[in-house]
Amino acid sequence: MLQLTDVAKSYPTPQGPLFVLDGIDLHLAPGESLALMGESGSGKSTLLHLAAGLDVPDRGEIHFHERALSALDEPARADLRRRHLGLVFQQFHLVPSLAVIDNLTLQARLADREDPDWTDHLLERLGLTGLEQRYPEQLSGGQQQRLAIGRALAPRPDLLLADEPTGNLDEAAADRVLALLHELIHESRCALLMVTHSARVAAPLDRCLRLHYGRLEPGEP
Amino acid sequence: MSGRRPARRAGVVGVTLATLLSHYRRHPGQLAMLLLGLWVAGALWSSVQAINATARDSYARAEALFETRLDRIERRDGTPLSPATYAALRRDGMAVSPLVAGELTLAGSAAGEAPLRLLGIDPLTLPGTSPLARRTGDAASLRDWLLPPHRLRAAPDVADAARRDPRLPPVEVDPGLPPATLVTDIGVAQRLLGLAGPTRLVIAPEAPAELPDALMRIPARQLASPGQLADSFHLNLTAMGLLALVVGLFIVHAALGLALEQRLGLLRTLRALGVPGRTLVVALGLELLTLGLVGAGLGILGGVLLARLLLPDVAASLASLYDSHVGTRLALPWHFWLGGVAIILGGLASAGAGLLWRVARLDVLALGHAQAWRARLGGLLRRQAWAGGALIMLAAGLGGWLWLTGDRQLVAGFVMVTAALLGVTLWLPAWLAGSWRLAARLGRRRALWAWALADLQLQLPRLQLPMMALLLALATNLGVSSMVGGFRLTFLDWLDQRLLADLYLHPEAERHDALQAWLADQPEVATLLPARHAEATLLDAAAQSAAPVALFGIRPAAVLRAHWPLRLPAAERDAAWQALAAGEVFVNEQLANRYRRRPGDTLTLRGADGRRHRLSIAAIYPDYGNPRPEVVMPVARLTRVFAAPPGSLGVVLRDAPGSRRQRLDALVTRLAARFGPATAESAIDQQALKADATRVFERTFAITRALDALTLGVAALALLTTLLAQAGTRRAQLAPLWALGVSRRRLVGVQCLQLTGTALGTALLALPLGLALAWALVAVINVAAFGWRLPLHLFPLQLLVTLGLAVLVAGLAALLPAWRLWRMPPRQLLQEFAAT
Repeated sequence: MLQLTDVAKSYPTPQGPLFVLDGIDLHLAPGESLALMGESGSGKSTLLHLAAGLDVPDRGEIHFHERALSALDEPARADLRRRHLGLVFQQFHLVPSLAVIDNLTLQARLADREDPDWTDHLLERLGLTGLEQRYPEQLSGGQQQRLAIGRALAPRPDLLLADEPTGNLDEAAADRVLALLHELIHESRCALLMVTHSARVAAPLDRCLRLHYGRLEPGEP
Repeated sequence: MSGRRPARRAGVVGVTLATLLSHYRRHPGQLAMLLLGLWVAGALWSSVQAINATARDSYARAEALFETRLDRIERRDGTPLSPATYAALRRDGMAVSPLVAGELTLAGSAAGEAPLRLLGIDPLTLPGTSPLARRTGDAASLRDWLLPPHRLRAAPDVADAARRDPRLPPVEVDPGLPPATLVTDIGVAQRLLGLAGPTRLVIAPEAPAELPDALMRIPARQLASPGQLADSFHLNLTAMGLLALVVGLFIVHAALGLALEQRLGLLRTLRALGVPGRTLVVALGLELLTLGLVGAGLGILGGVLLARLLLPDVAASLASLYDSHVGTRLALPWHFWLGGVAIILGGLASAGAGLLWRVARLDVLALGHAQAWRARLGGLLRRQAWAGGALIMLAAGLGGWLWLTGDRQLVAGFVMVTAALLGVTLWLPAWLAGSWRLAARLGRRRALWAWALADLQLQLPRLQLPMMALLLALATNLGVSSMVGGFRLTFLDWLDQRLLADLYLHPEAERHDALQAWLADQPEVATLLPARHAEATLLDAAAQSAAPVALFGIRPAAVLRAHWPLRLPAAERDAAWQALAAGEVFVNEQLANRYRRRPGDTLTLRGADGRRHRLSIAAIYPDYGNPRPEVVMPVARLTRVFAAPPGSLGVVLRDAPGSRRQRLDALVTRLAARFGPATAESAIDQQALKADATRVFERTFAITRALDALTLGVAALALLTTLLAQAGTRRAQLAPLWALGVSRRRLVGVQCLQLTGTALGTALLALPLGLALAWALVAVINVAAFGWRLPLHLFPLQLLVTLGLAVLVAGLAALLPAWRLWRMPPRQLLQEFAAT
């Protein structure tokens, strides 16, 4: 489903280009879950941004459902994100001016894929029933992250890209959120690519890879 | 937006727009600030446009009236025409038509209400080119017009009042008539006005007429009421309206910038969730359009209400300054409404286009980072400072050119003023940032001081726009106040110089000489100052044109020579008076400026009898408030050469013990006994004249002062709304300081000092700008617009007032946010601290 071939990405510095990713080859099958581990600054988030079509590589190809992202213009990449991908960020990035229910259904409505039954189900599974009319600032950190996960899953994406989804939570809350995330991933038969630096978070996933100095190595959770 | 069933299908743009707009639901203050900015900008602009549109409508109706399309025939001595004269002219084959014009006070009018203008016409002889003649052209209406009970046509604004007057014939509303005008059959008009014959005769401009010597023909083009000067007055109003619009748009720009900066995270999230950049720009554009339409509606409505309030003063100004009659009811054409919406939407687009452009260009990954946003803003500030510098150079260059060439072109003057205002405004952020850096260097050992100045640098992107608005408002306030204050001083001084006589009399022509002889024998009278008026045509060989010019005859008595203002050094004045006595003339500044004449140049005048007179100019004199070019010569010469009819008599009393009032009353009592009450009633006390002139002056600048004050108020609002809108962010910045041990009292003090200090820095830049504006108004724009030049007066107190106003405006704006911070419970500050 997702295929990265010889992908490289660099950033300009006064000392010349700094390669954060170099010769990355990666494959993710439908329904599969993969943890991407690495130190801070190892290029994990950059790889996630490239996979989401938020950024473009200097070299190499990224295919999603056999379509090369390099062949898509910005609106087409946005369309792909809207319909096929779900994104979960460490900082949640909820819309502070929208109530819980509107945040939850935001991407689904953007993709014109709103399904009231699925929305109800998500609300219940995420433990947000009864909180629909609250605003994000009125929720706890765990509730906010659960809402962010729900927003990403609401349009039933093929692939969920999660960037340190529990980085802002304490251990207990993180465990609860992760358990829920895995259950919902299975329910919706969605693939998962999760960036984390925590072995505990990576452990339940099908596979684990480690980024080291811009290159991928087989990893152990 | 909330609700779970059924599924909503609003499309990407719809959902994006609804999500963007939801920001205002959580931040209603920002929405209020945006709409307030649009409302005040639109209201001030629309009010001026409504006034101008009403004035144009009145001018158009006045021009359409037959009077301004027909030549006029009057007696040279100013006495009324007799029916016999009219009959004699008709017998000689001249196509003249009689006309009665006078003022009529309607029955039931309130005290002090202005009388209406009543015209009586003879439709049978009125030249067919007149629009009025066409209206009475069909047989039925002509019969109604000529036979009792006759008909009366009334302008729409006075039709209802006319219907209530039992003396008047049945009333028909005529939208084509100028305001406050009634037209009826000549016989009816004579009866209503108590006249025995026509007041004047009219004739088609192309009709030939061999007039006897006692009569003169005044061409139609000399009678047109709204001239170039009235146009200039409207141009000045438009400029003030434009300034208010710009200041209002600063609020809009500040609010939009703030709303966008606070939604950067949201924009990033939307992009990440799959909203294309172009869709985001379209949605933001739709948001602007929605806000613009609501703001335009509010603004135009406010403008119409404001115009209703201001129109009576403007109408009075135009009537007293230019003899142009403007209705006191608004007459707004369709293009006023459409133009209002267009200019407000255009202004909003200009304020929002830059922001949309930046959103479109920013990288999706950098979009949410305020740092990246601010880094780009830093570059923008530098470009702004360069552009500002270039505009200041342009203004200085234009100023130098106008100064050196002595050319007073209105457009060049406005371009210079606009370039200077805009240039200094664009330069303001660089000036403030530089001042803060210098202040930080001086006080770097004091931690709170250093923090406060560093914090101000961070606030600059948000503070710059309201400070720009404040700069414009302060500079305009200083410039306009200096101009009006200087004008008032000069005008009052000039009145003292021109109104030398204690009493002015306007006797009937047949009693003029007898009255003059009687007054000369009275013991109270020291000097008599007779004056006469006549009309001539100025032949301008250079421009190959002819234009009407007023002739004014004076008696150059010692008292008049000592006080009459002349634009000459004191040492040259005696020589100028001797030259006047020897056959030369004085001309007013309006004539000198319009026809580029200087002392030593010559004028060629054609009198009413057709003879040409070549006259040398001895001196130029100021003549404030007079829109017409004027030539002054001794009254004896004016009577002899230009057949001027008898005019007024000025009486200067001797210095004597006792009250001036009592001596004046004694003289008027004896005068009434000798010449009858009518002659005595024509006497006008000098003090009453001065009071009247001063009242006209004050009214003339009423609208200028009103718009000036409103602009300053708008700037204060801009500052207040910006502070309120960013109060939440400010608390998050202040909370860590509080946590570090700075008391709330000190924090409030620091905040107020930051703001008043910034306002003071802005005012320091406003001072030279305001003075430059005052110079431009006095030396360039007034000369071009009104025809006279004023000396530039500087008022040190006014400079202090400007500084004080800046501090006051900033202090008032800071008060509410400071009070809120003061009242904030520590628990909330703790939350802000935890959030940071």
